[in-house]
Amino acid sequence: MAAEISPREEEAPPEETRTVVVQHHPLVRISHWLNVPILLMMILSGLSIYWASPVLKHAPDPATGNTDYLADAGTWAAAHLPGQRRFPRPQNWFYDHFSLGHGILAEALRLHWFFAYLFMANGLLYLAGLFLGRGWRALVPRPRDAGGALAMVRYYAGVVPAKVLRRPWPHPPVEEKYNALQKLGYLSMPVAGALAVATGWAIHKPAQLGWLERLFGGYDRARLWHFLLLVLFAGFVIPHVVLVAADGWDTFRSMVVGWSARRRGEGSDERP
Amino acid sequence: MSDPEAPVPGPEEAGAPAAEAPAGSAAEEAAAPPETAEPAPPPPPGPPRRDGTRLVVLPASRLRRQSRRDFFLFGAGAAAAAAVFYGLLPDDTRANLLTEGQREFLDSLEGRIGFSAKRRENVLNRALTFDDDVAEAIYSPGRLVRTFRKSDRTPVPNNYAGETPDPDYVPDWTLEVEGLASGKKETFTIGDLLSRFRRHEQVTRLCCVEGWSAIGWWGGLRFADFLEAHPPAPDAKWAKLESSVNLDSDGDPDPYFVSIDLPTARHPQTLLATHQDGRPLSVEHGAPLRLLAPMKLGLKNIKAITKIVYSEAEPPDYWNLQGYSKYDGI
Repeated sequence: MAAEISPREEEAPPEETRTVVVQHHPLVRISHWLNVPILLMMILSGLSIYWASPVLKHAPDPATGNTDYLADAGTWAAAHLPGQRRFPRPQNWFYDHFSLGHGILAEALRLHWFFAYLFMANGLLYLAGLFLGRGWRALVPRPRDAGGALAMVRYYAGVVPAKVLRRPWPHPPVEEKYNALQKLGYLSMPVAGALAVATGWAIHKPAQLGWLERLFGGYDRARLWHFLLLVLFAGFVIPHVVLVAADGWDTFRSMVVGWSARRRGEGSDERP
Repeated sequence: MSDPEAPVPGPEEAGAPAAEAPAGSAAEEAAAPPETAEPAPPPPPGPPRRDGTRLVVLPASRLRRQSRRDFFLFGAGAAAAAAVFYGLLPDDTRANLLTEGQREFLDSLEGRIGFSAKRRENVLNRALTFDDDVAEAIYSPGRLVRTFRKSDRTPVPNNYAGETPDPDYVPDWTLEVEGLASGKKETFTIGDLLSRFRRHEQVTRLCCVEGWSAIGWWGGLRFADFLEAHPPAPDAKWAKLESSVNLDSDGDPDPYFVSIDLPTARHPQTLLATHQDGRPLSVEHGAPLRLLAPMKLGLKNIKAITKIVYSEAEPPDYWNLQGYSKYDGI
């Protein structure tokens, strides 16, 4: 080998090299980005379906007969947000802004089924990438992650005030690919995805898959779980995007190219 | 997207796609004398670390090339995804989001890459058909749907799509049946049906396509018994159940019709229901005869049936014509 390489070295100076940390298998990256349109369409069409028969309901409003908390939220938004006063039907404000729209159940159902199959296929792609690229190792929780996650919550809670007060506010040490809070967050997503699929099937085929429906506590409970998983997805995505933006280019790039230039926890590598 | 792991030799990489550099070159470059800009020699690429990541040493030019390619693929993928996403959006959604000028602009762009409303319909209908095929595949004719206790009953809403018909039709009501093996058209009164068939009772749930459900106590003859007593033509695979008394929301006649595959009709829990809560059906719930097929969505459970036609070809279905599934098996 050395004999082969030496003539080349004489011809040209050795090329500049970089050491990078390979983080994400190509299938993980592909499925990660495919999730953006797929999950978006699942949420938008899902809320259009929700419109037809809301899960979270109250006693009928004496004036309008409305029972839907989300319609209430829309009415409030239309009345209080700037520039929304002239919105034609305030009851539909929420659905016209956060779903495909109101009154399009048939279209929403077709899109929901179509993207549900894409979502399931994409989930399999992700799992394949997670195992082929050994990415699952970064997601396995350990008992000490509980403390680590709390330290991260404390850090995030104080980081802005500390900046304002110009106090030192050190980031808790991160020895691995993810900090403990990231780990729990990223682990929760495949779990939530699987639960969204399972609750979805439970309410899609409650007669044929009655056992699945009962597993989630009945038809209406399964609908509630299915909806709460949407809340969980939204509750993940918003801070996820904000934190990636705050963390910077390297983190974003790593999900496109697969590697990071940041060599985190170098010391821990030496451990057996 | 390319895999920057490829040049690292290792047992796991044996099946990896061939990289541009011959295997082993990265290791040699790692072992090259430390004349690079880095002050310390890079650690040798070791086995995967405990967190699943691994260090690799790559020529900077190659890393740049791969990154350029990955970002190009990322951009191309994002553009393609955006085009498909927009192409699948319902017209109402586009009208909500965009002005007419923006819509025309985007629609003309979509047209240039071959998207159209017709293609959108085709794609979504194919997805619906696929989902129906899955439903049919998991359907087992012997599997009974869950039954409940009478105390589990919930109010069953009157979900007539339009206005509830005037009860005037009830006294003169008859059921016409066509497509029979006898080749004749037969007519039944409710008295015929009640006297000639055994009444079965069941407490089952109706699930509406909208998402709500209701548990009712129903009684009636089994569709299977009716099929046995008055068999359809041998080649028949479908039943079209019609109601001529349905009205639209303005109160104008709006005949309702559903397609039911004969295996569903023969299911032991599929009733031609005549009773609810032990009493004859009310007009709100389809007096005097309605379909009760609890393994289908509520919209297949047609009220006030006036005609049954057996056929070999799949008949049309009221809600399928409006974009819903035609199978509707739950």
